Amino acid sequence: MADRDSFLQMVRTALGIAAGHAVEAEDATGIFKDAATVESDAANARAGAAANSSGLLDALAESAAEIGWRVRRCASIEDAAEAVREICRDAGVKTALRSRHSVFDRVPVDATLSAGGVDLAIAAREDGLDADADAAARANLREDAFRVDLGITGIDYAIAETGTVVINPRRGVPRMVSLAPPRHIAIVERGDVLPSLDEFFTLARADFLNGSHRGMMNLISGPSRTADIEGKIVTGIHGPLEAYLVIVG
Amino acid sequence: MEVRTAEFSKRATEAIKDPQQQQALHALYEGLHKNRIAAAAATEGWEEQRDRGRAIRWHAVNNLDHYLEMLDRNVAANGGNVYFASDAGEANAYVTELARSRGVKTVIKGKSMVSEEMGLAEALERVGVESVETDLGEYIIQLAKEPPYHLIAPAIHKSREQVAELLARETGGPQQDSAEELTATARGLMREVFQRADMGITGVNFAVAETGSIVLVTNEGNGRMVTSAPRIHVAIMGMEKVIPSMQDLPTLLRILIRSATGQRISTYVTIVNGPRKEAEEDGPDEFHLVIVDNGRRNLLADPSLREALLCIRCGACLNACPVYRKVGGHAYGWVYPGPIGAVVSPVMSGLKQARDLPFASTLCGACREVCPVRIDLPTLLVRLRGELTEGKTDPRNRKVSRVEQASFKLWRFGMLHASVFAIGAKLAGLLMAPISRNGWVKWLPPPLNGWTRSRDFKRIAITPFRARFKPRSPRDGGGRR
Repeated sequence: MADRDSFLQMVRTALGIAAGHAVEAEDATGIFKDAATVESDAANARAGAAANSSGLLDALAESAAEIGWRVRRCASIEDAAEAVREICRDAGVKTALRSRHSVFDRVPVDATLSAGGVDLAIAAREDGLDADADAAARANLREDAFRVDLGITGIDYAIAETGTVVINPRRGVPRMVSLAPPRHIAIVERGDVLPSLDEFFTLARADFLNGSHRGMMNLISGPSRTADIEGKIVTGIHGPLEAYLVIVG
Repeated sequence: MEVRTAEFSKRATEAIKDPQQQQALHALYEGLHKNRIAAAAATEGWEEQRDRGRAIRWHAVNNLDHYLEMLDRNVAANGGNVYFASDAGEANAYVTELARSRGVKTVIKGKSMVSEEMGLAEALERVGVESVETDLGEYIIQLAKEPPYHLIAPAIHKSREQVAELLARETGGPQQDSAEELTATARGLMREVFQRADMGITGVNFAVAETGSIVLVTNEGNGRMVTSAPRIHVAIMGMEKVIPSMQDLPTLLRILIRSATGQRISTYVTIVNGPRKEAEEDGPDEFHLVIVDNGRRNLLADPSLREALLCIRCGACLNACPVYRKVGGHAYGWVYPGPIGAVVSPVMSGLKQARDLPFASTLCGACREVCPVRIDLPTLLVRLRGELTEGKTDPRNRKVSRVEQASFKLWRFGMLHASVFAIGAKLAGLLMAPISRNGWVKWLPPPLNGWTRSRDFKRIAITPFRARFKPRSPRDGGGRR
């Protein structure tokens, strides 16, 4: 087997350089931006997103619709809950699983869904379970994700340039809730939207440099799709067939 | 994967005669190629993005040891294992041993060109582990037992009827008709496997050194399933795939995705930072990153070929290439087809076997034009041709036959002596007369038959041009006024 050191030595020999060689700075890559610069860029990105929140919501709605999101714009949190109910009614949703994003503290989807006759599960694994009970709770959650008609989540960021939402899995936010069910509803609020991929990855790097490194990051842009049979685009090969973006504000 | 680069001519001829392949290749041009053109035109600062992407990749490749070391350190900090493999055998041994020691019965695979190089699926099957491809195109060609036809559209040469037949054989049910029905069937078949698989194996589009992240770009979502459903995730990357920083991703994602499909973004960009974090609800307990050389060092060590390692595998050079668009993906005989394949396959898998590939180009420059990181593919191809014809590195690679050498010596002699040239031309004209039809020669005797096997030859005139030109030249009072 090749251990790390002999592998790296092979690379150096091929490059014709010695260990510990100087790495010449290259402006094109972000790696040479120091933490202070990244932090101030991140602060600017946050401030910019807040200052132009209306324009960014409009831009997001437009780009998201172009790439296959079914976009619903809502003026209030009540309207948003109503939009969720309508989507479920029109798509014949009987069962749903939702994440514990903080948006659900504001948008009352639980009440509207149960009024609409939807059987709703919540990703609410308890803290401090023993190993067996914890494993059982996680297995349960996974079964739910593969069983239900719909997954509902909030988002961590949205990106206007590309019509993307970013969801970082964590406690209360399973990876599978936005992936396994045949339909996904993501709820976006004012202030969540960044202009472009540049701002998003600046914020992601700033988080890393601050020590708050994410586990997985999922950038999601519309429904799952394939063009592998005669080049024809078909949705829903592995992830959702239908992806809904409910934009509040 | 079996190397069949030596069969280029045979398989190219087959493809040219196959209307179905020709139709698929035309569709690639009309679809992916034109989508790319439209996307590039609609992107502000497109050329600058390409320049920047190239600069990032060039910097990373030229400091590869530095960034691999950083990547190794940070994957470990994220709780993952890194394994460095010199060749396909070592990489396969690591993955199969991991599968054995963890009691893995079923592996689900995302799209990975490196694993195709390695023949990983076959290696797993040999030790009794079921391995299922999950990219729909890869799944189709796995059922058909064929290599990928295109970097990003691996089953584009299969008709809907052929796909229907393959899937019906799997389900034992009736043959379906529409792409929608077939996709739904494939979803069902793979759903069942996702839920019982123990190990997920993916490729890597980019590995971010600073954060120890791997980045996967997919439209189907299989990249997400494979990295989230099983209890073990193994990512396999060619050693050149490392980039320095997260902040390099906006540029690289933009140029990769637009060049590949013309989309502004793929449906899923999945960034994996090690195994499931403590508080997470789901995801694998183990994360392994296998970093593979497998002949890439030959490209790295040669300063004039090194830039082939900048490649981000978008496939745009395939769609743009007039040769690929006729001979198709299987003629190239290995994992990487098209212009980039014609450069990397010979260097990675052996120049001797792949000697036809660098010649499978018209050097028109279309590949260089579209390459998002501006790899100068025609120059690299000419460089390899030089090596093959002059045999600089290995005389066994000598392409020039004695007959060819002798002919060129004769040609030189003729060109230097006008009277010899005149006699030669006259002789050729007379010799050709009996074997030509309507002014064309379709067959020449050996050793010249190589030329006429794929081309017709205009018959040489018995009265040479010089003889016809002379009386009409202005000096003699002839010619046109």
